[in-house]
Amino acid sequence: MKFIGCFPIHLTMQPATISMHMSNVETIPGKTIVNSLGLVTGSTVRAKHIGKDIFAGFKNLVGGELKQYTELLNESRNEAIQRMMLQANQMGANAIVNVRFATSNVASGASELFCYGTAVVVQ
Amino acid sequence: MDVFIVVYIIIPILTIFVLPTLSWAIGNWYQNRLMSALLENEKQDGKMLQSDKHLSTSSSMTSMAAESSTLLHVSICVGPSWGQIFFMWLRSLFGGRLHSYDVVLDYGRREVLLRLNQQAKALGCSSVVNIRIETSTVSFAKNNNNKTSSVEFLAFATGLRQ
Repeated sequence: MKFIGCFPIHLTMQPATISMHMSNVETIPGKTIVNSLGLVTGSTVRAKHIGKDIFAGFKNLVGGELKQYTELLNESRNEAIQRMMLQANQMGANAIVNVRFATSNVASGASELFCYGTAVVVQ
Repeated sequence: MDVFIVVYIIIPILTIFVLPTLSWAIGNWYQNRLMSALLENEKQDGKMLQSDKHLSTSSSMTSMAAESSTLLHVSICVGPSWGQIFFMWLRSLFGGRLHSYDVVLDYGRREVLLRLNQQAKALGCSSVVNIRIETSTVSFAKNNNNKTSSVEFLAFATGLRQ
């Protein structure tokens, strides 16, 4: 099966079954790069749950860590990584090097989590 | 007449001055507690943080002979309290140092490094290289009335197993 462009929901909801080497340096330490396959990206846009927002609003009375937002962003980032891994898997790669993350506020009430890297084949 | 005084004089004064002061005081107390807890944690299992041998922002692997590696990423959202935001707004009329933000941001950055360290230990990594820390504003507020705003710190790195 081939998915180009967007990913179907039933695939992204599945737990991680792909195992892939990832690093944010130029190589995978302990391995050698055989083939470079190009850029892979993954992103999610998330808005928060209204109940969680109200709770976080109460939490803002004292400040400090806002656990709801931390969890939300972690989940979303993991999903973005999943999509990136899926894309690399379809290209036939078994590793991603030079992974970078970017967060941006696309609209008030939503934020985009984006990650990108280079798909490679290592031995 | 009494109702008039309560509605138009006492309640506004309460909301404008007393509630922010209360929130500011509670926020300061709570954040000081968080900070002291963080300091203890850093003492206890921050040994890897102290030595630059194991933790570096450099990506050069020349001195490393690693068997395997893994990507580590931790993020944390922190924010000041409502009262602190209010007094910071007052302060920004004159300019100067915003102490509350100093404390909150310092706390967030150190906490995220500590958690990165803990994650590295949990995954069996003996050293962490190419650490990057990114800061972004996460404002989920849908309108200007909601003052909920926070700062997200993201730390990511490559952990090496030897």
